[in-house]
Amino acid sequence: MTATSDAPLLTLDELRVDFHTPTGIVNAVRGLSFTLGRERLGIVGESGSGKSMTGRAILDLIPHPGVVTAKRMEFRGKDLAAMDKGSRRKLRGRHISMVMQDPKFSLNPVQTVGDQIAEAYRVHHKASARQAKERSLAMLEAVQIREPQRVYDLYPHEVSGGMGQRVMIAMMLIAEPEILIADEPTSALDVTVQLQILKILDDLVTSRGMGLIFISHDLHLVKSFCDRVIVMYGGKAMETLPAQELDRAQHPYTRGLLGCLPDLDHPREKLATLTRDPAWLA
Amino acid sequence: MSTQHAITAEKLNVSFGDSHVVKDLSFAVSPGESYGIVGESGSGKSTVLRVLAGLNRDWSGEVDILGKRQPKIRDKAFYRAVQMVFQDPYGSLHPKKTVDDTLAEPLAIHGIRDAEAKITRAMADVGLPSSFRFRFPHQLSGGQRQRVAIARALVLEPTILLLDEPTSALDVSIQAEVLNLLQALRQERKLTYILVSHDLAVVGHMCERLLVMQFGRGVEEMSAETLAARTPQTDYARQLLIASEGFRRAG
Amino acid sequence: MTDHASAPVTWQAWLTTTSPESRRQARLGQLYRQWLAFRKNPAAMVGLLIVLALLLLAAFAPLVAPHDPLAQALDQRLLAPSAKHLFGTDALGRDIFSRVVYGTRVTLVIVMLVVITVGPLGLLIGCAAGYFGGWVDTVLMRITDVFLAFPRLVLALAFVAALGPGLENAVIAIAFTAWPPYARVARAETMIIRNADYISAMRLQGASQMRIVLKHVVPMCVPSLIVRTTYDMAGVIIIAAGLGFLGLGAQPPIPEWGAMISTGREQIFDQWWVATFPGIAICVVALGFNLLGDGLRDVLDAR
Repeated sequence: MTATSDAPLLTLDELRVDFHTPTGIVNAVRGLSFTLGRERLGIVGESGSGKSMTGRAILDLIPHPGVVTAKRMEFRGKDLAAMDKGSRRKLRGRHISMVMQDPKFSLNPVQTVGDQIAEAYRVHHKASARQAKERSLAMLEAVQIREPQRVYDLYPHEVSGGMGQRVMIAMMLIAEPEILIADEPTSALDVTVQLQILKILDDLVTSRGMGLIFISHDLHLVKSFCDRVIVMYGGKAMETLPAQELDRAQHPYTRGLLGCLPDLDHPREKLATLTRDPAWLA
Repeated sequence: MSTQHAITAEKLNVSFGDSHVVKDLSFAVSPGESYGIVGESGSGKSTVLRVLAGLNRDWSGEVDILGKRQPKIRDKAFYRAVQMVFQDPYGSLHPKKTVDDTLAEPLAIHGIRDAEAKITRAMADVGLPSSFRFRFPHQLSGGQRQRVAIARALVLEPTILLLDEPTSALDVSIQAEVLNLLQALRQERKLTYILVSHDLAVVGHMCERLLVMQFGRGVEEMSAETLAARTPQTDYARQLLIASEGFRRAG
Repeated sequence: MTDHASAPVTWQAWLTTTSPESRRQARLGQLYRQWLAFRKNPAAMVGLLIVLALLLLAAFAPLVAPHDPLAQALDQRLLAPSAKHLFGTDALGRDIFSRVVYGTRVTLVIVMLVVITVGPLGLLIGCAAGYFGGWVDTVLMRITDVFLAFPRLVLALAFVAALGPGLENAVIAIAFTAWPPYARVARAETMIIRNADYISAMRLQGASQMRIVLKHVVPMCVPSLIVRTTYDMAGVIIIAAGLGFLGLGAQPPIPEWGAMISTGREQIFDQWWVATFPGIAICVVALGFNLLGDGLRDVLDAR
């Protein structure tokens, strides 16, 4: 265990995602490379930066006309590109999981949330229905739901946004994956709820030694939550830096993004606007 | 009394069936002021805006706008003075109408002549190139759509603009452009704003005073300086401020 | 096209530009993009071709038909298909091919009349019910339910029985029985649309209820109704044929396909062609409208 803990969980080299549309090829991700250890890695960018596509590419969830290529794409030394669809699917959920923005769209509306968590467990583990239920209740407790017994029998429309997102996290973490990809997991939530969810995510990831890819558009949040940040624009990484040093970023795009945020401590008459340099994508 | 204020609300209550979404809310906005309403989802902040705009009729209390007590059903003249910009630029423009149709419609409703010049001017004012005039919404980006929505609100030359989370659906770089545009328009035309938002930084940037709402009640009214100095009086307002600073790891 | 020759743009570029210069250009450009999408669907194109062929046949029926569809020749009764009579002749010695060709006119008249009455009627009732809600909705929808409660053909039969047989009355009866589903579709769409921000924005501009419904709600409902209408065409043709078959639709000697099948019924085992060819015509046209409807749905309902 100790021998492998330093080795990266995930290695991506020159990841590309291209969509072959009738009007031409759209490059969603163009040559992204990074490694992920047991850490909280943030990917920030605006819409269309390719940040969500990166998460989906790792899970092999790119929709139809999209094609994923990479020089190297390894999960704990295993070549993902060489695996068949079935093996990739087994990896999904068991070893690499994903939490998405809106739990409303990710949960099955006609099944109780508890059953869905239990099912997620039984897909990857041999367990009786009772064992699965026990595990699920324990998991609901782990995401700080006060009455797990009651919540277990609720349907998705009966839970609030914050509770739904906890349920999603419980469902994604019950199989004890090594990597969790969180794609804007708190953007649909109020700030106070958002922080509770992040706290749960943070505790679980740290205590289980998981690798977390945290995809977000919110620079402040990423700065305060992650260890390392990749700033993406137009499908490329503009720069990668420790989260603490985000304020001292060098790249004009990162600086521009930070500059155009309104800031209570530095009131300005006019907000800076971003001028995009085509050279960034060259 | 009411002539000194652009907008006053006294003991405003709004209920939808059993749920009481706004409770005994009172506030006053001076002419030319920019007033923020902040709160989390379910605080009733957007409902207040819809009552002021005349879109919601299930309310009680007193609403005065521009010195006139407002009935539930507003007259045509009201809409020339008060306009609104909605949160979602993808839902607030009619998908089958070009920019030109959208801007021509209010002029046609109020029988305003010289539509050609007014449309050209409205587009120039919000920084839309004239080549966009006959585009459909699906041919525009989110920021461009929000500019069209602002142009539509301004084409009747109102004095009050109600802004319902006007930038929360936009990327931060586009948000900066739209906020700058709104600031410039306000100075140029001496507009009165009520800005509803969940983002304290945006409200701090745009408004002179703000009201924090929770569960339908006004919790605290404060100045932008109080917000910037982080010295609100109530626990809830302080809590919101701390939450907006980002994540804090215990220990 | 020649007057555009001086301009350095082709007409495709003019249509597909992202910066049109006039309302007309914007509208035409939108239509052209929809046409490009439609063209990619081979089944829809087949449907379109069938419907176009129907239109052409109806327009040029006198040129296409070799014989007078009404001319009887009792010495040439029930002849099998041959070079002279492509589809054979019926019990009165009339050329079936010519009657099928002329029958396109009857079919088109029925289709057109039903479309211009049913579409607007259903649209207005549905949009009004959906937009205003409350008692307007209750009253209009209960009336709709009454009509929906009867099988269509039975209700049409009742109307024709009351009005008297004949093509016009058959059309009126079909129209009366066809509008409720349209009203339902329009209502369902309107209930979603009326809560949209762009409708709120129109109210905020002081637009009257009437203006909002007619200028802003109706255009959003039209595409799904057009699609529904094209699907329904097949049903309308079949009901018209059914009424004709029962002797309650078009009266002899009008060459209506349903009535033709009905008269061919007696000879169906010995002279199969009398009933078969009008039957095939009904099938092909119904299929054509269905395929067209499929293609239109993909194009118009997208977005």
